Amino acid sequence: MRRLPVYLLLDTSGSMMGEPIEAVKNGVQVLISTLRQDPYALETAYLSVITFDSSARQVVPLTELSAFQMPDIQATGTTSLGEGLTLLANKVTAEVTKTTADVKGDWKPLVFIMTDGGPTDNWKKGLIDFQKQKFGMVVACAAGQAADVNVLKQITEVVVQLDTADSTTIKAFFKWVSASVSTGSKKIEDSGKDIAGISELPPPPPEVNIVV
Amino acid sequence: MKIIDFLNTIIADANENEINDFLSVKEASIIAEIHKLWNEYKQNPVSGTAENQGDILVRKGEKEALAGNIDTGREVNNTGSDKDNIEKQLGTDDLKEPVNINEAEDIPLDIKINDASTIIIDMGIIQGGVKQEYNQKTREAAINKAFNKQIQSIHISLPNAKVNQEYNVEFDFEKLGIPEIGEIEFEGLGEIGLEYAAEEKRIKGMPTTAGDHKIKLLIKRKNWENGKRIFECNIILIINPDPRLLWNSIPTLTSISYYKPDSAEQFLEAGLNKVKFGKKCIVAASQRGRSHAHEGKPRDDDFAMFFDEQTGWYIMTVADGAGSAQFSRRGSQIACETVIEVCRVQLTAQDKDFDKHIENFYKEKEPKITEKRKMVGDSLYTIIGAAAFKAYKNIEKEAAGNNNPIKDYSTTLIISICKKFKFGWFVGAFWVGDGGIGIYDHKIQFLKVLGESDGGEYAGQTRFLTMPEVMQPNEIYRRLRFDIVKEDFTSVILMTDGITDPKFDTDANLNKIEKWNDLWADLSSEVNFDARNDETAGQLLKWLDFWSPGNHDDRTIAILY
Repeated sequence: MRRLPVYLLLDTSGSMMGEPIEAVKNGVQVLISTLRQDPYALETAYLSVITFDSSARQVVPLTELSAFQMPDIQATGTTSLGEGLTLLANKVTAEVTKTTADVKGDWKPLVFIMTDGGPTDNWKKGLIDFQKQKFGMVVACAAGQAADVNVLKQITEVVVQLDTADSTTIKAFFKWVSASVSTGSKKIEDSGKDIAGISELPPPPPEVNIVV
Repeated sequence: MKIIDFLNTIIADANENEINDFLSVKEASIIAEIHKLWNEYKQNPVSGTAENQGDILVRKGEKEALAGNIDTGREVNNTGSDKDNIEKQLGTDDLKEPVNINEAEDIPLDIKINDASTIIIDMGIIQGGVKQEYNQKTREAAINKAFNKQIQSIHISLPNAKVNQEYNVEFDFEKLGIPEIGEIEFEGLGEIGLEYAAEEKRIKGMPTTAGDHKIKLLIKRKNWENGKRIFECNIILIINPDPRLLWNSIPTLTSISYYKPDSAEQFLEAGLNKVKFGKKCIVAASQRGRSHAHEGKPRDDDFAMFFDEQTGWYIMTVADGAGSAQFSRRGSQIACETVIEVCRVQLTAQDKDFDKHIENFYKEKEPKITEKRKMVGDSLYTIIGAAAFKAYKNIEKEAAGNNNPIKDYSTTLIISICKKFKFGWFVGAFWVGDGGIGIYDHKIQFLKVLGESDGGEYAGQTRFLTMPEVMQPNEIYRRLRFDIVKEDFTSVILMTDGITDPKFDTDANLNKIEKWNDLWADLSSEVNFDARNDETAGQLLKWLDFWSPGNHDDRTIAILY
């Protein structure tokens, strides 16, 4: 079966402590329980969570939705976005099945990056690793005004910004992520094609602004 | 109780600095201090809560044992203690040692003390044994609190379950790393179809209800007795819905343009009763996919078949209307209808000539790369090639007549014409788009796939009958295939990609006999191919409902057997 891999790359640096990180955890929870009700997503979407603070780690390996268990996420340390991108690239290499003559590979992964600050490591090195991979769609979310939109713009064309990193706004973002995965998993089933642009995703809610 | 025993108690309760401080003052001032405290206690005996006793009263040894585990935990809510047990435990020597957590008792809820250390001292002097009891109870409260803290700090996660799918996972509390746990029980499992089998240390059953369920783990410390505290730990158990039940099946509105039923099946006796026609029959079925049914969208697939009793030709065709094209259900329908129409006419018109070409080709020695092959190919071109082209033209006409682009009627098409000859069976085919067609002989493990899929899984370049570039003479010719096979072959099968995707996965696998063996075994398990009657079609339609995660396209199959 062709899986739709979905990677969440989440900033868990110290600045996310408190309301933002709680909102993120809640957001992931809601994302999962919503998608589990969607027959398209439940069968095809696989989810992984990678966090980055002073270092990056994959807190949930690529897991089918029905087996997904909420990881424990803490906010602490600096913002090693570059390390996060490198880890993401490595995990995609290791976890996403390539198409061969005998096996139809997975769909190209969807990636949702969320950060509330600027990277504190050598992020360009991570960017190079990241760019070697093929993704279906990469959405970068600048949570609040302190996030470095210019950095995110170099990672992907699709950058969205949240005016504030409060729980309502973050929740709205994750609802949109959920809707996007739903739409995406349906689209690949219907059309048999990878997801290739933001126009194929549902329109973001008012809290989520597309950065042009 | 002697004053020295009391002092021992204090020493046991204090840390090193406190003991040093204590010993540095003279005895008289100690007694004065004690009297002062007692007077204060008499004036204001009850205030404060039980919680803040714990920290103070846990002695040095316990503090180390419970490192970091004591805080202002929840309220302790049990009563009663065993007097003998207390006396036994409260020997002076015993008090110098850390108390074994398992032997301790609970503390009464109603004890309210302002400052624990004060109370202990006063009780010691004035009320003797009562002090010891309180001392024991407060220590017990601390132990309970520490125990509770330990329980709350462990992260218990159970693997997710699935509705209607047997759940059976190990739950061995001894592996939680808390040796003080004596016994456990669960609350909330029964309601969702599960139980905890204590002897097997497993949670098992058949989950009934989807959702995020709150399960309570009830824990008793070792040597638990009636009335003692039971600890609780909340666990979330996720039960996934049965994916099959998430798919709605909304009938297609009959009022839509180009309505067609959500499923169709047909059985044709064909030449079943005539030796000269090879005693074969044809059966076909088509079922709307779950993804369409889920949204009340129509079936885009179609099929048609015909047996010409004059000439003995069997004609079968299947077509898969593109999901993205809004009137593709009509495109596939026009294609199938046209194919039968044109093939009938052409086969009748060319019957004798075509038969002769086929016979000449058969008689020719290997390798058959000559004019005779071309004669058959050319005839085939004027029969099924023409049928495909006419199908395209008819769709074009339909589109133009309704001011729609032909793209809206996009469809794939697979055609096969078969006939029994003295020397074997002739099978001719035309194929554009994905899906598959093959001649399969189970007994001699023979497989011939009649063409190549335009699946386009590398470049996303699925081809449709409705593409003008496909309807060029050499493109049509290129897609023609034919073969002559032994009489007792198992079947000729035409399928849309709703079947080939789940059953073959890749185009390369379509050429693997093992995959066809699996397919035939799967089909035969539900379809009685020996019966050869109308029921066969119903069974085939039922088979089309097979479950394959992520594969919910329309499914259509036609079989000559």
